[in-house]
Amino acid sequence: MDKFLDSLKGRPVDASIDYLVSLLKRRQIQGSESCALATAHILLQVVARDKWSDVNQLLERVQTVGRKLVAASPRELTIGNVVRRILGLIRDEAQEDRNDANNDGSSDVLPEPPHSAPLKLDSPPGKPIRPTMASALGSLTRTQSMFNILADPDVAPSFLLDGTPAASSGASTPLAHGLATNASALRSEVLDGIEEIMDEIKQVDDQLCGYSDIVIHPGDYVLVHKPSRTVQRFLTRSKRRFTVLVVTDPATVTAEDPYAILRKSLAANGSTLINVMNTGLMAYMTRVNKVILSARAITATGGITVDAGAAAVARAARASGRTVIVLGGVYKLSPDTQANQDLATEWGDPSRYVNFSDGAMVNNVRVKNAVSEYVPAELIDTYITNLGAHSRDHLHSIITDHYKDAEVSLDLYGKIRK
Amino acid sequence: MSEQPNGAPAEGQGAPAPAPQTPQQQPSEKNAAPAKDKPAEKSGEKKLTGAELKAKAKADKAARRAQVKDRKEVSKAEAAVSSSPQQLGPAASEVKGKKGKDGAAAGQGGRPLLPKTVPSAVITEQKVQIPECFSHLSMAKRIPMTQADKDVHPSVLALGQQMATFSIDESIARLKATLLAFKRVIQSYTTPPGHTLARHFTPHVLNPQIEYLTACRPMCFSMGNAIRWLKLQVSKIDMDASEEDAKRDLCLAIDTFVAERITVADEVITEAGSKLIRDGEVILTYGRSSIVERTILLAQAAGTKFSVFVVDDPYERQGQQLAKVLSAEGIQVSYCGDFGGLTNHMRRTTKVLVSAEAMFSNGSLYARAGTCDVALAANELHKQVVVLCETINITERVSTDSLTYNEIDPERGQAGAFRLLFDTTPDKYLQLLVTELGTVQPRSAPDLLRKLEEFN
Repeated sequence: MDKFLDSLKGRPVDASIDYLVSLLKRRQIQGSESCALATAHILLQVVARDKWSDVNQLLERVQTVGRKLVAASPRELTIGNVVRRILGLIRDEAQEDRNDANNDGSSDVLPEPPHSAPLKLDSPPGKPIRPTMASALGSLTRTQSMFNILADPDVAPSFLLDGTPAASSGASTPLAHGLATNASALRSEVLDGIEEIMDEIKQVDDQLCGYSDIVIHPGDYVLVHKPSRTVQRFLTRSKRRFTVLVVTDPATVTAEDPYAILRKSLAANGSTLINVMNTGLMAYMTRVNKVILSARAITATGGITVDAGAAAVARAARASGRTVIVLGGVYKLSPDTQANQDLATEWGDPSRYVNFSDGAMVNNVRVKNAVSEYVPAELIDTYITNLGAHSRDHLHSIITDHYKDAEVSLDLYGKIRK
Repeated sequence: MSEQPNGAPAEGQGAPAPAPQTPQQQPSEKNAAPAKDKPAEKSGEKKLTGAELKAKAKADKAARRAQVKDRKEVSKAEAAVSSSPQQLGPAASEVKGKKGKDGAAAGQGGRPLLPKTVPSAVITEQKVQIPECFSHLSMAKRIPMTQADKDVHPSVLALGQQMATFSIDESIARLKATLLAFKRVIQSYTTPPGHTLARHFTPHVLNPQIEYLTACRPMCFSMGNAIRWLKLQVSKIDMDASEEDAKRDLCLAIDTFVAERITVADEVITEAGSKLIRDGEVILTYGRSSIVERTILLAQAAGTKFSVFVVDDPYERQGQQLAKVLSAEGIQVSYCGDFGGLTNHMRRTTKVLVSAEAMFSNGSLYARAGTCDVALAANELHKQVVVLCETINITERVSTDSLTYNEIDPERGQAGAFRLLFDTTPDKYLQLLVTELGTVQPRSAPDLLRKLEEFN
């Protein structure tokens, strides 16, 4: 990741894109946060260094790059999320500019409504709201109809769009006139916006931590599955005394404790950590109070993609009536859905458990190893994002706050999924 | 029990044994101390039933006491461990009482199977480090042969080591090996003058063997069942029968028991199980179990065309062995090392085949940890879960969760690395129970028990 960021400066944009695509394909950059940041960085380069004279050209360009990146790692939904966010950002900035230009007399733009504030309601106190987003809401003229809220996200509601150009073409006409002059102003505004998105992604962990004391009670037994950095920080931030059961990664069994640092910082609060070396967690569920999972991505229907093995944990927790809590920044919340669960599982390196030198296994047996898998929404109780704790039904409104319809219906996947 | 007065002085002797240790005890070990003393006293009463044993005990005591000093820390911890619920039938309660003593006397256990992974300084503390919430569960431990009770028969000694190292692992294999070892014990037994076999054998010869085996690894339910049966047989021996006859009868009874309850039972079960596999099916199994393996091979031999999906426990990886054996026979095998994508696998599966370590009389299944998760995933997609189980594995006990009866992996018994070996699957996730007495609903397990009682 660092190497990639270093290489950005020296290369032409196209070379960097290809480099990132190959890194993503080889899974040398993986994990939702890295993928999201890498995407933001490369699009920053695209906006800053590519030659473009009007918005449509830029939108087109960003979409093409976005498709390439998504195709390189189609199950990292965050890549698509960031691409969509940036597209939305560009459209907003462009529309603002146009509003300014056309303010005197032209009637095709509806008057700007006062800032609606669903975003503010969710935000934790003291958390700065991205100004671009707030203004995006303001300039977004579409009212939230009941139909919109209830609409099945599986069906792209492209016919609903009023004012915004329909669907994926991106070659929209209303934005076209008289924008070339503002290109440089627009460029700097978009760049600021992308920087803000990157900051948002980086701050997620800190913001999530604020909820740990609400979730964790004294004396709890909390089960976590291969805790990501987010979850580890979430646990250490709690001032309570509790017990953490950590489901470890069986492939990396070593003599030393894989979570020694986490154990140490938990011990400072009097909490204990137990490394559980079982794949099946049903045996422990009578003991466990709640399960905390970190999402790789959260889909619009509330299902999440997680590291392989976590689905079994979630299922066990649900079967025993334990609470399943999902952590993940808003940037992981995707307007996409994983309608087909089978496709949502990513298969990878079979040598994790089976040695390639083992001829009998390699020749005759079909070895499968999942890298990530999908947890259906029914198994999850609560989602905690940097904006707060949400129920499944509330995810829709967060999505509408963060993505414009044009982006939601944008098909970044092309033929990959079909 | 007429020897009781004779026993008294010996008990008096026994008492000082723990005494010299106490001054050396660290203040931090206070809590453990009472736990250790209690079982020691109990065992003192128990073993005093034989007068000549007392003499032997005297001779041994001096030597043992010296040893005890060295390993008191360990034994204390062991005593704490052995206070956990034992996996014996209630009828074997005397064994239970004695087990505490064994923990104290057999000493120096708890050496992890992978000593290189754990620094030697940790070994003595290891037991104490079992996380508190799981401290009621028992754990296998390696007892050096030199520290075993002197009464332990060599064949049992060897068996104990095999069990402690898990080279004999499956419930039914352990049962068979135990019975055969006990047969040797019976063959090499001579009744001391003035005693009868029926009265003397069980408390003085059989029980030390059982204690030792239990100390090496907690007994499985089938062993508890069989030992109860064996004790019954010993007690039924006619007082007037000659020793030769009695021994021959006992050996014959063991042979019949092994043949009926294990050998033939396995044949019947594999036969019935293989008939459940139909053409075109995809059978999912978890880990490796010899009876599942034989069932699948039998179905293949019968000409059924089907494929197998082996899901494995990544910490044991025995499923790879199974996958190799099956694929060598020409069966199409897929293998997955962990529970990643379990739902995906399950969707392509038609039937789940697992074997039981034991069945509780409420119909829940006690099996390799993770079985419950597999059954749960199968249940979600409405796939049939079939359990293969010999009736000797059915216990009259009841368990509703996995933490009532369980065993801790001796290599992973600390907070740094913790692992349970078994879990309990509620009967609602199971559809069929295949036993040698017929294929029934798991809930009917107690009916099978009743049937068995009628037979005997």
